[in-house]
Amino acid sequence: MASVANPAEITPRQVANKSDKRALLDAIRMTLAVQSPAVRHNTQTFNRNRYAATARLADYDALKDRAREIKQNAIANLPELLRQLEASVHANGGHFYLAKTAADADRYICDVLTRHEAKLVVKGKSITSEETKLNHALEAAGIEVAETDLAEFILQVADEQPSHIVAPALHYSRERITALFKRKFATELPLDTGEELTVFAREKLRQKFIAAAAGISGANLIGADSGSIMLVESEGNIRMTTILPPVHISIAGIEKVVPSRKDFGTFIELLPRSGTGQPLTSYVSILHPPLKAPPFAAPGKQPKPREFHLVLIDNGRNRMREDPVLREALRCIRCSACLNSCANFETVGGHAFGGETYSGGIGGSWEAGTGTLMNARFSELCTGCSRCVNNCPVRIDIPWLNENLRQRMNFEQPGSAGKSMFGAMTGSAVEDRVAPLQKQFFANYHTMARRATRVASVSNAITRLRFVRGLMESVVGLDRRRKLPPFPPKTWEELHRSEPTHTATPAEPSNVLMLADVFTNYGSPERGMASVRALRQVGFNVELSAALPDGRAAMSQGMVATAREQAKVLAATLLPHVESGEVVCVVEPSVLAMLRSDFAHLLDEATWTRFAKGKFLEPMQLVWSAGGDLAGIFPAARSPHGARVFYHSHCQQRTCNAANETIEVLRAAGFDVVTSSVECCGMAGSFGYKHEYYELSMAVGEDLFEQVRAAEKDGPRTLVASGTSCHEQLWAGMGREVLHPAELLMSTVAT
Amino acid sequence: MQPAIAQSPLLEEFAKSAIQAVATVELIERSPAALGDAILRAVGEASRILYAPPHELPSELFSEFVRDRRVRAEPTPEEMVASAAGVTEAFAGVASTGSVCIDISFERTGMVSLLAPLQIAVVAAETIVPQPRDLFRADVLDGRGLERDFVFVTGPSATADMGPLVRGVHGPHKLHIIVLR
Repeated sequence: MASVANPAEITPRQVANKSDKRALLDAIRMTLAVQSPAVRHNTQTFNRNRYAATARLADYDALKDRAREIKQNAIANLPELLRQLEASVHANGGHFYLAKTAADADRYICDVLTRHEAKLVVKGKSITSEETKLNHALEAAGIEVAETDLAEFILQVADEQPSHIVAPALHYSRERITALFKRKFATELPLDTGEELTVFAREKLRQKFIAAAAGISGANLIGADSGSIMLVESEGNIRMTTILPPVHISIAGIEKVVPSRKDFGTFIELLPRSGTGQPLTSYVSILHPPLKAPPFAAPGKQPKPREFHLVLIDNGRNRMREDPVLREALRCIRCSACLNSCANFETVGGHAFGGETYSGGIGGSWEAGTGTLMNARFSELCTGCSRCVNNCPVRIDIPWLNENLRQRMNFEQPGSAGKSMFGAMTGSAVEDRVAPLQKQFFANYHTMARRATRVASVSNAITRLRFVRGLMESVVGLDRRRKLPPFPPKTWEELHRSEPTHTATPAEPSNVLMLADVFTNYGSPERGMASVRALRQVGFNVELSAALPDGRAAMSQGMVATAREQAKVLAATLLPHVESGEVVCVVEPSVLAMLRSDFAHLLDEATWTRFAKGKFLEPMQLVWSAGGDLAGIFPAARSPHGARVFYHSHCQQRTCNAANETIEVLRAAGFDVVTSSVECCGMAGSFGYKHEYYELSMAVGEDLFEQVRAAEKDGPRTLVASGTSCHEQLWAGMGREVLHPAELLMSTVAT
Repeated sequence: MQPAIAQSPLLEEFAKSAIQAVATVELIERSPAALGDAILRAVGEASRILYAPPHELPSELFSEFVRDRRVRAEPTPEEMVASAAGVTEAFAGVASTGSVCIDISFERTGMVSLLAPLQIAVVAAETIVPQPRDLFRADVLDGRGLERDFVFVTGPSATADMGPLVRGVHGPHKLHIIVLR
């Protein structure tokens, strides 16, 4: 599809299907231009509320384990559970239908309604019915559909797809809703407040509830033992839909089935808290329909007998169940925590970071599972920052799913002699050499960097040339607007060799092996050296390993085979140290996260079992663990940078619980520390370098830059960050030097 | 709820959570006169009050209340959709969330607790459980939560879909909870 000049003229429907890359790029431009403020406000509110609400659950982690286990077992026993559920629904007096496809589900529902001569149905929010495009089918059958959830009502009026799986119209600000209603309803009514808009919609829909022949709802969970369903909502429209009309149809995916109604007890605590951050939403209905109480009857009429249909859809889910990667996604309970904790999603929402139905980090797997692989192209917006991982109530490793989708999409690309040669030269695994040049370039960062640092002054001179940047942009997609940090004249390994190795004469020095991770080694050796010195300062004996790639860069490009090869070599190198009980210290947090958790996916099981016993720590964790008099060793008052600092921890560092010690150390040394509260800086490795994502990356970064500016209202602060990418992003956004915590500490030590 | 009358930690937590969910709560003596008073005070000037008789609490408790001429225990459809208040019992309360659990298996309980702008729920103090998950246990409240069709009601209906948070959407705009000592 051709790119439209003005992003505001792009309609969400036009860019819903992103199998064409142009649609993804247009969608990013459109959402940044039109929807971003509302999406940011709403998702960040959900995000803050979720952190607060889950912190109040004393057994949050145990509940997540339990939820994961219930879903895992349910998916394993699905055929049996479906048989049991069918019997339960029949025993209750309801009807059960298992639809193979979306069209099959729609046809069944149309048949039921036609049999009842229904002219009007009311609908509660159901993303599954968006997947089957039920409204189109009903309207084609001459049945009016009234969407009664106010968000779905807005989407129906605007003819747009959902932009969020829980709050499908959160890309609309109040002002845009007012404009939309005034235009579509041609009304002169004042619609300038949330109350006025709500009253307007309520009055329209009240009449529909009373007149409707049938109500259609989704189901958040279904208990096989009793045919019970759980329905979570706040507006009361689902209660109306299930109580008033005589016919109730509930449509859901087969993955919503759990063994027992008793299992609802686990999910009722997790779902609302993980979603909107409420302890409970206004209404949670627990029903085993049909209801015994009679439905609403119009004046002068006898109430009709109740009828209930449970329509479960497969539509690719059984295929997902056979797929080792997509099977994980079946655990999803559609809470939206992975959307709200994602910096990219917070900035563009589901009309860019989403497909025709599903959105966000988990959305790619669902679009691929219920549609085709290329429908998941928007999952490119998952940077692998991992902020969603700890927030997922059923513990799905969402970045890993997206890295696998990316690999499959790479494999769909045609191979070429050029790509193959480039891959061979730079270090791609044989099967990954079909990947686009841009992906192979960023995946093999270390090879390029190794060569460039050998002739750093030449490399730096060359990359400053405008035509070279132009060439890099057109060949490997490295955006020319992105400031490149200069290659250092010496690598960390080289600097380390010329460093005297005496320690601060501790009684019993303990040994630490520092991994010369490739990002620090070739990109910022001074941070590595400062870390070595800081550790020595508090009494550790430090050795430096050889610089070896860890698989992070390759994995983020979907080059999983290359990542596996690198992980295997690195693990073999580190294992002797790990098994001798030595601590392995890693400066770059994204590499620390590889060793701590991602290697579980990349190493064979036996190696991982041995490797996982290792102690992998971030430098400041070690400094903190040494327990010395930090105020005496690193007196903040002596720092030429001043004692006032702004600290941004790295996304993966926070996910693997390795960030708090940095703040403790800096405060103990006497620094006045203000911390960021953004999920991610927006750089995320190569993401912010890529030509097509540069603007999005900077838009995400703006939240962080704004926090720096706010923290500096009463005077400047020294910028401190732990991750390589965060350094580069802060450097680009704030235009000044950024220090590693170890550099800040060492600045206090007299030399 | 006035702090003086919150007597147990569970009750205190219930009241705190319910208020956080923007419900109002009061604790009263368990007598027909006190309940009648409390409900009529809560409904104020309402010209019609929907009422679904209780199945757990003794119906004598409501004997003073039902003498009010405005009470409709068997409303017409027109009255059902155009009354200012709806009164039902709740068979359980939840302390951590301030929710009341309304059994909707009976004749009109579902509609009475849903269609009027002011919802009044009457709950016995001893049926308040610590957490939502307790309603899914066979050993709590004789496993009633495992058998019934019911709704956890937490505050009034609400939406943020129109921009700012608005209370009072399709369901009640206000929830008043009367706890029986």
